Amino acid sequence: MKVSLRSLNSSKARALGISALLSTAVGFAGMLAFGGSSAAAQQATQQTSVKEAKSVTFTQANAPAIVYKNPPSSLIPEGRTLFIENCSTCHGIDAGGSSRAPNLQGLGAATIDFWVYTGRMPLEDPTVQAVQKPRKFTRQQTLAIAAYVSSLAPGGPGIPSVNVTGANISQGQSLFSTNCAACHTITGVGDALANNVYAPSLYGVGATQIAEAVRTGPGNMPRFGNGTLSNAQVADIVKYVLYLQRPQDPGGLALGHVGPVTEGFVGILIGLGGLMLFGYWVGGRAQR
Amino acid sequence: MSDVQQARKDPNLDYSSMTGSRSMERFIGALFVISFLATIGLGVTFWLGGQPQVEGALLFVALVGIGVGIVAWGKYLTPHGPYVQERHDLRSSDLDREAFYKSLERGNKVLGRRSFLGKMLGVSLGAFAILQLFPFLRSLGPVPGKSLYLTDWKHGSQLTKVDGSPVLVSDLEVGGAMTVFPEGFIGNAVDQVILVRPGNYDIVTRPGRETWGPQGYLAFSKVCTHAGCPVGLYQELTQQLLCPCHQSLFDVLTGATPVFGPAPRPLPQLPIYVDAEGVIRSQSGFNEPIGPGFWERGNE
Amino acid sequence: MNKRVEKTTEWLDERLGIAKGGRSSLNKIFPDHWSFMLGEIALYSFIVLLFTGVFLTLFYVPSTQQIIYHGSYAPLRGQSMSEAYASTLHISFSVRAGLVMRQMHHWAANIFIAAIVVHLCRVFFTGSFRKPREINWIIGSILLILAIVNGFIGYSLPDDLISGTGIRIAFSIVESVPLVGSYLAFFLFGGNYPGNAIIPRFYTIHVLLVPALIVGLLAAHLGIMYHQKHTQYPAPKRTNKNVVGTVFWPTYALEAGGFFFITAAVIAALGGLVQINPIWLYGPYVPYKVSYAVQPDWYMGWLDGALRLMPSWEVVGFGHMIPNVFFPAVLLPGLTFTALSLWPFIEKKITKDDEVHNLCDRPRDNPWRTSLGVGILTFYIVLFFASSTDVLANTFNTSLNLVLWTFRVLLIALPPVAGYVTYMLTKETEVVEEAGSRRPPVVITRSLDGEYHSVPVAGDEAGGVVKEEFEPMEVPEEKEYESFMGGVASEHRDKDLVGVGESSSKGGGSAFHDEIGPSRSGGSGIFRVPRNLPGSGGLFGGRGSRRQRRRGGQDRQ
Repeated sequence: MKVSLRSLNSSKARALGISALLSTAVGFAGMLAFGGSSAAAQQATQQTSVKEAKSVTFTQANAPAIVYKNPPSSLIPEGRTLFIENCSTCHGIDAGGSSRAPNLQGLGAATIDFWVYTGRMPLEDPTVQAVQKPRKFTRQQTLAIAAYVSSLAPGGPGIPSVNVTGANISQGQSLFSTNCAACHTITGVGDALANNVYAPSLYGVGATQIAEAVRTGPGNMPRFGNGTLSNAQVADIVKYVLYLQRPQDPGGLALGHVGPVTEGFVGILIGLGGLMLFGYWVGGRAQR
Repeated sequence: MSDVQQARKDPNLDYSSMTGSRSMERFIGALFVISFLATIGLGVTFWLGGQPQVEGALLFVALVGIGVGIVAWGKYLTPHGPYVQERHDLRSSDLDREAFYKSLERGNKVLGRRSFLGKMLGVSLGAFAILQLFPFLRSLGPVPGKSLYLTDWKHGSQLTKVDGSPVLVSDLEVGGAMTVFPEGFIGNAVDQVILVRPGNYDIVTRPGRETWGPQGYLAFSKVCTHAGCPVGLYQELTQQLLCPCHQSLFDVLTGATPVFGPAPRPLPQLPIYVDAEGVIRSQSGFNEPIGPGFWERGNE
Repeated sequence: MNKRVEKTTEWLDERLGIAKGGRSSLNKIFPDHWSFMLGEIALYSFIVLLFTGVFLTLFYVPSTQQIIYHGSYAPLRGQSMSEAYASTLHISFSVRAGLVMRQMHHWAANIFIAAIVVHLCRVFFTGSFRKPREINWIIGSILLILAIVNGFIGYSLPDDLISGTGIRIAFSIVESVPLVGSYLAFFLFGGNYPGNAIIPRFYTIHVLLVPALIVGLLAAHLGIMYHQKHTQYPAPKRTNKNVVGTVFWPTYALEAGGFFFITAAVIAALGGLVQINPIWLYGPYVPYKVSYAVQPDWYMGWLDGALRLMPSWEVVGFGHMIPNVFFPAVLLPGLTFTALSLWPFIEKKITKDDEVHNLCDRPRDNPWRTSLGVGILTFYIVLFFASSTDVLANTFNTSLNLVLWTFRVLLIALPPVAGYVTYMLTKETEVVEEAGSRRPPVVITRSLDGEYHSVPVAGDEAGGVVKEEFEPMEVPEEKEYESFMGGVASEHRDKDLVGVGESSSKGGGSAFHDEIGPSRSGGSGIFRVPRNLPGSGGLFGGRGSRRQRRRGGQDRQ
């Protein structure tokens, strides 16, 4: 078959062209017709993962936002054994601290629970920041250790049970952006602070641990007492953080919620890179 | 002659033997059909309320079908040459240039006779242009005046939380931090202050500032002296404030002096006191302009 | 010719005279190369920006008026926020196709500027800015500045927490200009920071002022390119005085038009499938709130990196102050863009080269320019990566302080190293005879003894590169035109079409596909071209067309 300008004008080619034009026109018409109307309401659901829901003990809306409870004293003997086996090398048998580790007396059950249950304690290397790792103790064992340490000296908050049912997620967003986002970032992914210190990611942290961290200020984190954030406000923050762990991503792949850094790489490498591959096909190499 | 024959064998050039053209036509046609179907799908998606990922995917298929189809049409079903064209000289011929100079000269001569008029025109046009700038600029915004030196903190201003309640001396736990404002100016950008309570640390105060931080409380302007971001990161263990934008690090215990990063000056400290009711108040405003530097600032 | 087309043409031609100019436009030759598509990507993503941008203006409200949000995104319901932010939420959640359009707009902006930057690199490293293209280089530089400015402003319009922090930094940067900084900042923001004026003003600048400038300059950029004709890579028969490639109508028009749709398609795929700037997670801008890990979009990264790497210096004296941010954020971009736009003249000062260059340099043929360019580029790439010091420290579990100091050292040390390595590489490839060229085709035979022989195809005794020259075809339309006019119009022949001698008009009625030159491929690699390209241009000039004529005649006999 000879191809010339005339043969391009054959009826078949014309039909193809018309179909191409038509499809474009339909596309734009569709956009104009429906683009303006609203009501494509994306349901803004407050997703709470099943795992987190379990840790919420209270379910009535009118129940107090947070209840602090010390673990039952019946656990103290078990806790004492575990503490001596695992913690006393650094913290001392009476948890009074040493040159290597701080005094734990009077810190309260919440502090102990946070450090142990998030896997930060026991520590492998005391010179670097404790990081979240697979926890060593079960819930029962953790509570036992907390019961033992808090029995040594009074003080410090008990282990909080957060009731997020009545919490206000929007309030939580506002409080989170005021108090937490500066370090943990607004999407909760965490980031590096100065001098080898990190604000950890908030992903995969339970409601109890979030409240404990707010109240006890572990490590470099500031402490937020009752005068700074009320229990209801802490519950609001907890609710928002739980939402942030699985936020709405209607736009597609979330790119790790890191923001412009990953977006830039995707834009350049995949966007421009992909287009250049097409361009390589269209433009070809030198020496045509 | 042999060259030409060889060329005939080149599949890229020999259109008479382009046996693949029919399958190429089918391929392109299929692309257009796929695109058309995707467009229909897009319409349905919009009709049903829309879903970003479906919309994106269908838009991609619709557009890429058309795009690849057209390119393939151009690339495989039209002759590619290569063709050659001569570049004409961009420069004009000497004759044209001569004529141009002549024409220009002619005009210049006519105008040059009245160079005085030309100068007057220049002056009046220039004056007009410059004068137009003034109302324009003046309406755009006020002149800075003293406003870069001022905040709303004054003697006795009550430190107020974001929710409007006063900051009591008991409100902040040791190792806590809080953003506060003068009463009545909540949310005001220049007034934001970060109140910290370092606790049992040796606080090095600069001379004349011994009374500025009662009961272990310290208040600093939250506006970074580098580029003005809110210095919101309080590293409690190391007693440092970190600016999230460019990582300037300020040492709380020595009066928020910069220890790392680009910030050149300490965060201005707000002198505070605790009144009889236990409410924290400011002794006075800042004794220096807050925030980043500017030309008029100089050395105070 | 189709009757209707003829009628329309006649109607227009009698009023506008389109046939004359239109004819040469349709016959325009465009050299093909994948690297020439970069500018097209930029152009097409700009068109996508215009389309999606118009869509967004229908729903966006440029106002800092505080309202209470009652929209469909629950985690922000009941909060006080600017109308600008609320309307962006509305676009994202309630306007049909709104989120896709918003994300396409953002991705298109990222790709637009990326394409401009890579296009600029292509032009730089191939020396395509040399005479006569200096004006277009300057226009291109201004377009880059405008694109970056408008990108930043557009990024700021949603008034979310992260972009609001960016505006705060912008205020400080404007404020840092010596002498007039505080006045400029107050005039721009309508008073002290934050004020209520900046969002509406940014909106006007973003949708009216800068786009109008870009459209105007883009037209000039393309117009000049069209008038001067595109550069081409050196190859046999491609001379300084001709342009070899595909003809505009229909081939190039189809390829370019199709590529627009492909560009739009890739942007649409990103816009629908990859989330960008999820402002609903960032929350409304409040001056005392801040998020960590605040980065600007990638094209501002080098400025952000410079701000981070700058030591804590400030110039104070005589009652005045030059603030720290002035050096990385005003002086650096000022010097950068001045040097960038004046580069053709700087290079001319050094090389004293006043020749017209229509052939691209291959980067390795100009070692000093290439290595200098790589060095400078490395400087900006280091700055670019420095804008994510915190994210890098977090990702690689290193100290932030260490990362920052590493970048400070790299910023000084890496550019000379990169430049030097590039210089050595270019020098190396210069010595290697066929570096970069494709291998000549050979026929491999095996003798009875099992010995292999490779014999170059096409009787190439010289061994190296196949010497076979390709003969570009003349633009076919001329012949059709002549035959259509029955040869009467030969006196109207366009000057820029070569090789249409008497012989071709004698061949009357032949469609252009009959006019096939000899093999252009046949495995011909990239030929070594003498270093003084202008000279090499004269070597082949016009020869091809004469031969072509002769052969064309022979072919038909």
